[in-house]
Amino acid sequence: MTATEPKQQQENPLLEGLQLQRTPDPCVLVIFGASGDLTRRKLFPALYSLAVRRLLPEKFAVVGVSRSAESDDEFRERMKHAVQEFGRDEFKEDVWNWLADGMCYVATDFADEAGEDHISAVLNGLDRSRGTAGNRVYYLAVPPDAISTLLHEIGERRSAEGWTRIIIEKPFGHDLESAQELNEEIKRHFSEKEIFRIDHYLGKETVQNLLALRFANGIFEPIWNRQFVDHVQITVAESIGIEGRSAFYERAGAIRDVFQNHLLQLLALTAMEPPIDFSADSVRNEKVKVLRALHTPGPKNVVRGQYGRGYIEGEEVPGYREEPGVAPESMTETYVAAKLYVDNWRWADTPFYVRAGKRLARRETTIAIEFKRAPHPPFEIVDEEGLRPNVLVCHIQPDEGVSLEFLAKVPGQGMMLRAVHMDFLYGPTFRMGIPEAYERLLLDCFLGDATLFTRADEVEEQWSLVDAIVAPWRRDRPSFPNYAAGTWGPAGSDELMKRDGRTWRRR
Amino acid sequence: MATALGTISAIDRELAERRVDPQTGEPIQRTSVMTHIAWVPTQWVEAAEDVLTGLADRHPSRTIVLVPDPEAEDGIEATAEVAQFPLGNGRQVCVETIRVRLNGSRAEVPASVVEPLLLPDLPVFLRWRGVPPFGEGPFDQLVDVVDRLIVDSTEWPGLPGPYVHLAGIFDRVVVSDIAWARTSRWRPQLASLWPGIADVKAIEVEGTEAQANLLAGWLRSRLRHDVELQHTQSDRLVGVKVDGEPAPFPPGDPPDPADLLSDELDRFTRDRVYEDAVRAA
Repeated sequence: MTATEPKQQQENPLLEGLQLQRTPDPCVLVIFGASGDLTRRKLFPALYSLAVRRLLPEKFAVVGVSRSAESDDEFRERMKHAVQEFGRDEFKEDVWNWLADGMCYVATDFADEAGEDHISAVLNGLDRSRGTAGNRVYYLAVPPDAISTLLHEIGERRSAEGWTRIIIEKPFGHDLESAQELNEEIKRHFSEKEIFRIDHYLGKETVQNLLALRFANGIFEPIWNRQFVDHVQITVAESIGIEGRSAFYERAGAIRDVFQNHLLQLLALTAMEPPIDFSADSVRNEKVKVLRALHTPGPKNVVRGQYGRGYIEGEEVPGYREEPGVAPESMTETYVAAKLYVDNWRWADTPFYVRAGKRLARRETTIAIEFKRAPHPPFEIVDEEGLRPNVLVCHIQPDEGVSLEFLAKVPGQGMMLRAVHMDFLYGPTFRMGIPEAYERLLLDCFLGDATLFTRADEVEEQWSLVDAIVAPWRRDRPSFPNYAAGTWGPAGSDELMKRDGRTWRRR
Repeated sequence: MATALGTISAIDRELAERRVDPQTGEPIQRTSVMTHIAWVPTQWVEAAEDVLTGLADRHPSRTIVLVPDPEAEDGIEATAEVAQFPLGNGRQVCVETIRVRLNGSRAEVPASVVEPLLLPDLPVFLRWRGVPPFGEGPFDQLVDVVDRLIVDSTEWPGLPGPYVHLAGIFDRVVVSDIAWARTSRWRPQLASLWPGIADVKAIEVEGTEAQANLLAGWLRSRLRHDVELQHTQSDRLVGVKVDGEPAPFPPGDPPDPADLLSDELDRFTRDRVYEDAVRAA
């Protein structure tokens, strides 16, 4: 600071040390698909939690758009019940009233030009009445086939004032070609920095903690490579079935529903090189390098499965082909496992075993880093397997945290060894509610931070791999169903590991 | 009422027994993120217990409450408790609270009682109620065994005089002041007045004496010129005027004492801005 420098140009010394919350610009959130489950279960509870913490801009409004006829008041009332049912915070009437004051509803068909004009008129009115300054966030919580039309309509009517951001729910396309077409449609109207392709897994605290674990600690990164890691296992297991989403799931299957996005994103975060900073492009550049380095697995290294009748938590559940809306001869996979290799200097010859499935024995998402065994045991080992390897497990959900398995001497004579665990659990350590992924992601979008969203080239790399995996599937017809609900998947999945002298982790 | 324990080993044994679920016989998982020592002269016991109740759930720790009683006969009288908190999935974690009365001469040597009870490799926080006796034995001993000292200068009479002594220990231990935390909602409001506030000559603060002195010290140290302070007593910070003009009122409700202490327990590094404010108060 110099004596002659005007105060306006000097840095504000009072800001030093202040932990200022990032506050978004005034804006309107437009939710297409406002009558859907996502809006009710996730989006409004997340908006309410942000409002409780005063993280929304003071000048804010939400417009729900859907085909169903509904008045503004009916929409508000329905969302109020949703917040009371699914919100993580205590319901406070004053917070809700603040949010509800800025809510309205438009019933229209997405392809109806007159309807889109009506939405524009409503938004312009909100700019005047709520001071939202032409800033728009469009949330496309709609079926994949409606996205292209909506992008076109929104692009044609984009506000001359303020900024525009588009959040697009997964799946982004159903193969590489359709994803590229969507990206082309986007490019016609929007720039990449205006697009927020959402994969809600990236909004989970525990997924972000993987980056903290790797890059904020000196002890892990030096051994996070082929020299010390024997293999990696990534599991995204669900105990639920398709929950009435047969129309979507019959087309998607496990590979498009979970493998293409959540699983590959977890793998990319596990395998990526340290970014130079935590900016959107730095992180996404490193992730896309991993996706490009993924070696396409041959058919022997991919296992498909479909669940049959079985038991979940003691209750008998139907097989996939017995679910409402599913074809009796359906060949849609509800389980997929694969052995993948990341062909780069760090990970060459280190297998990444990944699996995702429905109606498995329990809900669990984990990343397990299994280290190489100690080279020579100086003890007499009773266990026929010899020394067990150390395993670092990142528990994404449930039991969010990190655990390290290592061997310890059992007290007493001799040198008996037993595996023990050092656990870090989010719950007891921080004793605060973990924010829902959608809270973080909505807020980041309002702030224009795309770090936790997927970039066009990432999505295309993911589809490129998926297309290569599914190409041979058109030629064969596996004997489905091939695993019972409530088990850990088809026998072929265990065989995949057994061939390499390994087993899936069970806990 | 639990039987008073008279030795450190008796405390250890009691904790070990209490960490076993009496119904299942299984050990309960202990989760500790720190050792939290509270120096609580008799007159502060009730207030301290209220805050601890709100804290245990959020910062699972081993809490050691030291109640000095120099007039009593020499010895220590301790109780040890284990409280369980549900984790979901039927699992529980336990936290430990050890209450120790330091009787007679034991009140002069608290570090020798505390050191064997510290959890290894975890940070140690010391919450000191009232004005610390700067330069005197018990306080100096404890400062040397902890990583962070937490005070609330709202509890201190005769301000700003004691701040001179507090500034003298900044190089020995990291200090948090809950009175400073209570100004945290107001500082961004005042910062938002930049550049108009750059040449402020006087502020009027309606709040505690500590808040008034710390806000004035903060402005003096950051703006690097003198700022006159006019103070109107209130039990909480309700208004600040800058050269006679009211500063914008901060949004939201002020945090409760347990939240404030909890926030301080999340911090591990020196707060240079606070230290400068204390020196300039």
